Amino acid sequence: MKNIVKITLSALLVAGVMSGCADKTERIDMNNDEGAQVMGLDYRDFNEAASKAVQSMLQSGALDKKSGDRYVLAISRITNDTMQHIDTDQLVKKIRVELLRSGKVVVTTAVSANGAEDAMSKQARELRNDDEFNQRTVQKKGTMVAPDMSLSGKILQRNVAMDDGKQQVEYYFMLSLTEIKTGLAWWEGETVIGKRGSGKSVSW
Amino acid sequence: MVALLFSACADKSSYVKVVDDSIKGDITVERISKRINSESGLTELQVVGENETDKYMKLRYRVVWFDKDGFEISSIQTNWTDLPVFKNATFSIHIVAPNKRATEYQLFINK
Repeated sequence: MKNIVKITLSALLVAGVMSGCADKTERIDMNNDEGAQVMGLDYRDFNEAASKAVQSMLQSGALDKKSGDRYVLAISRITNDTMQHIDTDQLVKKIRVELLRSGKVVVTTAVSANGAEDAMSKQARELRNDDEFNQRTVQKKGTMVAPDMSLSGKILQRNVAMDDGKQQVEYYFMLSLTEIKTGLAWWEGETVIGKRGSGKSVSW
Repeated sequence: MVALLFSACADKSSYVKVVDDSIKGDITVERISKRINSESGLTELQVVGENETDKYMKLRYRVVWFDKDGFEISSIQTNWTDLPVFKNATFSIHIVAPNKRATEYQLFINK
């Protein structure tokens, strides 16, 4: 009986110690994250780059249509030229959301450099010859709106080895807003984010 | 001592606030200007201040925008943005409202 009590107490003690040692997972406060910086890109960097790009676009007047109407924006190629596996939508989506909120722009999901973002706009039109569908509810020809503007750019990474063994990583967020009619870039912006840390850090 | 000198166009529901006590004696908010851009119809806000110390400071700011009824408008500007403030020099923050409905603001400066 004494042995059973001893074993039970030991097991409880070990379990208690183990749970005490385990790292506690914390949810990040995205609104006031004072966590340490990382050499790679994190959401704070994308927030900053997107915010600066949108502010610069709105200040430039490039999105002010004379009629007061909204421009139709297509998302062109945003190249990830870094050593990290980045989905460039991390940047572009924030810009799109903020531009849509501005009331200056509406983004087309039917056309983009990588094909339609939402293929349904086209697929739903294939119902034109389908007798199962009320043809009055099927979209007519010539109703889609072509884009006026295009957003393109790239995210570039440059690594510099410092004399003291540290490493400097520079990230360049370069964006252009092109008027499709003329092919002229009405707005261009660049945000540079630099980080300096241990040479042993891997930034990809 | 922080001197908040509101321009004539700024009203009571809009303000600029230095939220960290430790820098309140270091920076001065000298001028707040607000206008509506005739081209875009968007409210523009410019805050000019001064770093009265002999040291460079890396501050941050965030802006919360409201419509005329006092309802908050969602915006990426509610995230903190870096604000470099050079020693013994003026600094300025120039912001465009996220849309035409955004007319009132609360701007917070922190370290």
